[in-house]
Amino acid sequence: MKKSKLVLWLLLTSVTVSGAAFVHFTLESPTTNYPTRNIQGIIMWGAGGATDTMSRAITPYVEPQLNKEIVLINRSGGAGAISTKYVHNKKPDGYTLLYGAENPQLHGVLGLSDIDYSEFYAVNVLARGISVIVSHPDQPWRSLKELMDDVKARPKEIKMGSTGPGGLPYVVGAMLGSEGAFEVIPVPFDGDGPAITALLGGHVDFLPSGFTATAEHIRSGRLIALAVVNDKEISLLPSVPPITLDYPSFKKFLPWGPFYGVFINKQAPRNVKETLTKAFHHGASNPQFIRFVNDFGAIPMNISGQEADEFLRKWQSVTTWLLHDAGATKKSPTIFEIPRP
Amino acid sequence: MSQAFEYFSMGWVDPYLFFLTALGTFAGIYVGAIPGLSVTMAVSILISFTFAWDVNEALALMAGVFMGGVYGGSRTAILLNIPGAPSAVVTALDGYPLAKRGEAGSAIGLSTVMSFIGGLIGIITLMIAAPIISEFTLMFAPRDYFLLAILGLLLVGALSGESLAKGIFCAALGVTLGMIGLDPLTAEERFTFGNLELTGGVPYIAAMIGFFGIAEVFVQLHHLDIKPIRQNLEKILPSWKLVKKYLPLSLQTSGIGVIVGALPGTGGDIASLLAYDHAKRITKDPSVPFGEGAYEGLIAAETANNAAVGGAYIPMLTLGMPGDAVTAVMIGALFIHGIQPGPLMLTETPHLFWFTVGNLTLANLCILIFGLTGIKLFSKIVQCPKGILLPIIVVLSVVGTYAIQNSVVDIYWMFGCGVLGYFLKMYGYQVAPIILGIILGPMIDVSYRRAALSVQNDIGLFFWEFLSNPISLILTASVFLILLNQFRNRKT
Repeated sequence: MKKSKLVLWLLLTSVTVSGAAFVHFTLESPTTNYPTRNIQGIIMWGAGGATDTMSRAITPYVEPQLNKEIVLINRSGGAGAISTKYVHNKKPDGYTLLYGAENPQLHGVLGLSDIDYSEFYAVNVLARGISVIVSHPDQPWRSLKELMDDVKARPKEIKMGSTGPGGLPYVVGAMLGSEGAFEVIPVPFDGDGPAITALLGGHVDFLPSGFTATAEHIRSGRLIALAVVNDKEISLLPSVPPITLDYPSFKKFLPWGPFYGVFINKQAPRNVKETLTKAFHHGASNPQFIRFVNDFGAIPMNISGQEADEFLRKWQSVTTWLLHDAGATKKSPTIFEIPRP
Repeated sequence: MSQAFEYFSMGWVDPYLFFLTALGTFAGIYVGAIPGLSVTMAVSILISFTFAWDVNEALALMAGVFMGGVYGGSRTAILLNIPGAPSAVVTALDGYPLAKRGEAGSAIGLSTVMSFIGGLIGIITLMIAAPIISEFTLMFAPRDYFLLAILGLLLVGALSGESLAKGIFCAALGVTLGMIGLDPLTAEERFTFGNLELTGGVPYIAAMIGFFGIAEVFVQLHHLDIKPIRQNLEKILPSWKLVKKYLPLSLQTSGIGVIVGALPGTGGDIASLLAYDHAKRITKDPSVPFGEGAYEGLIAAETANNAAVGGAYIPMLTLGMPGDAVTAVMIGALFIHGIQPGPLMLTETPHLFWFTVGNLTLANLCILIFGLTGIKLFSKIVQCPKGILLPIIVVLSVVGTYAIQNSVVDIYWMFGCGVLGYFLKMYGYQVAPIILGIILGPMIDVSYRRAALSVQNDIGLFFWEFLSNPISLILTASVFLILLNQFRNRKT
């Protein structure tokens, strides 16, 4: 009696496990018409982040074009390397989309993974974020130049909020560093949000950050924007000077910022690429989505294919070499044949 | 004031909004009860689902799901020893022993009433003190988070059962497991052996399901022939006398819940841990020893995690900053609905604050109603023959784990942790300190290094800051007092 129950129990367990595996594999069966079933969308970052919000905002505009649902799943980890590899290893039939940010372009030089967006087809690069350099109103600086002069006068005393190597503050810091001595104390946080909270509480002194997360704090006067990391003023921050005003040499890095896009395996059939590109292009042209992107403090891009590839390559070239020159890379960009900008 | 009341009652007088909040709470309870289905996930899915809706309708539904989900986690924790959510880990410590003693009904009844009280205190605090508390939480520096995590880690003494050495071993094991993956500050790989899946770290909900649920199933296999205890279902609602007796305790633990919930970066899981610790310290003689089904332990956990909901809304509504993972998703939802979350939200979309307070109050009331119905049916689950119950638990664990992020690797982790947990249990080790370590380890790691970096690794300055700042000073003093106290208790 006892034994038979044990057997039953083991049987049920194995049925469940194989059931899960079965579901896992049937999702990959190939088709000629596309799409004939629901599509899986893998979001590179966790729920509540900028990539997540952007992905969930575009998807409802695209689904009617495809007549199918896109089921969104967050798969964070390894700074995006895990989801990138996961989607890349799936059958290239267009039923697994990667909703990603800029990170895979740096995985090579940071030694995380060899897969970057050159292995993918860019269905759509939806938007790019704008970075601003913000500080607390209690600090004396009212322009980037004042901050930079103070950094020079008091090396290793001023605290800069950061999000770790390869993160936005780090890269902007490296850009500032290319202007000469720039010795600050970088204090890394888990993301834009926690870094801004620390800045609001005065635990760090300044922060290069995505505009999205800081916009309302700047508007309410709780934070001061010293410069926009762009080559011209942006309409949402009319009185804040672009970084190129004081530092014209920054032009060579720009446009630079985090970006958000949708990608599929490069090996996918052509009709799949065309269907998806059309659907996402249509979705990203929706005025309501464009309004959302603007509210989100980003610049709509809506580019795909060749045009997107060029953007991605330039971004990778600028950023990896900046990081390499700042000594933050594990492998040289030359190993990956990334040309110097 | 009348304006505020008008906004507050928006969700009460509009039948559709009322219905949505109630529906959200109901659905939330069941989502929360299923391990692996988290409130964060549910609210994320609701973003697409409510995309074309009016923002008020979306927020009403989400508030219900949030409130209900946090409460729902306690169900499976009490009945099956599988916490439905990380914030219900502590609930399992005393809830499951109660169910094993045949008091599942009264345990659920008590946890429902206490969740209601905790939730209510969270809401009241949000209502009257939101701006003050949000300014207060901004003052928490990295070193204060470090001290807070140390305070939590001292709980290991309370969780280690028969042997403190074994408890410390398990906590260290948890901390080590929590270290696996990419270094959160430098993105350096730690203990990954070049394996990409390991760079994602130990999926800690999968580990939790393994250590609690699967390990318990394996242990139960030894007792297949023992008949389950008959559940006493006479008395479900806790008596007024009982509630009154524990009112001071529940007020204190709710207070801890609100503050910890309002701190960005800490949520219901850490809130309930700290509250449990507090309860264990101030209770001189509990109903039965902690860990064996003490009402005090259950009360602390359930009040704190529901109070943390109101707390998490505080930074979201006053500053536009998330108080936890769920409110982070809600901030995304606000963006999509064309509202700019930020410090100006209070003045520019004034209805949002009181409307949310109203919804939460309604959702909290719904918890009391939905939570107290169907208890008899649920308690019968524990009476199920083990030959039927145990396979169901395993199936539920596998499905729940897979659902976290559709990853088969997570299922391996879960079974691995389950087997490890089984052997640990057989040799008298407790699994709770492992979870404590996994939750607090990374927090100690990053906040310590952040604090050290802020002072340029100057050790003198590092310690001086512990004493020169009021919040740090209070936290440092608490850590020392607790240590001293434990030392003295051990001597006598």
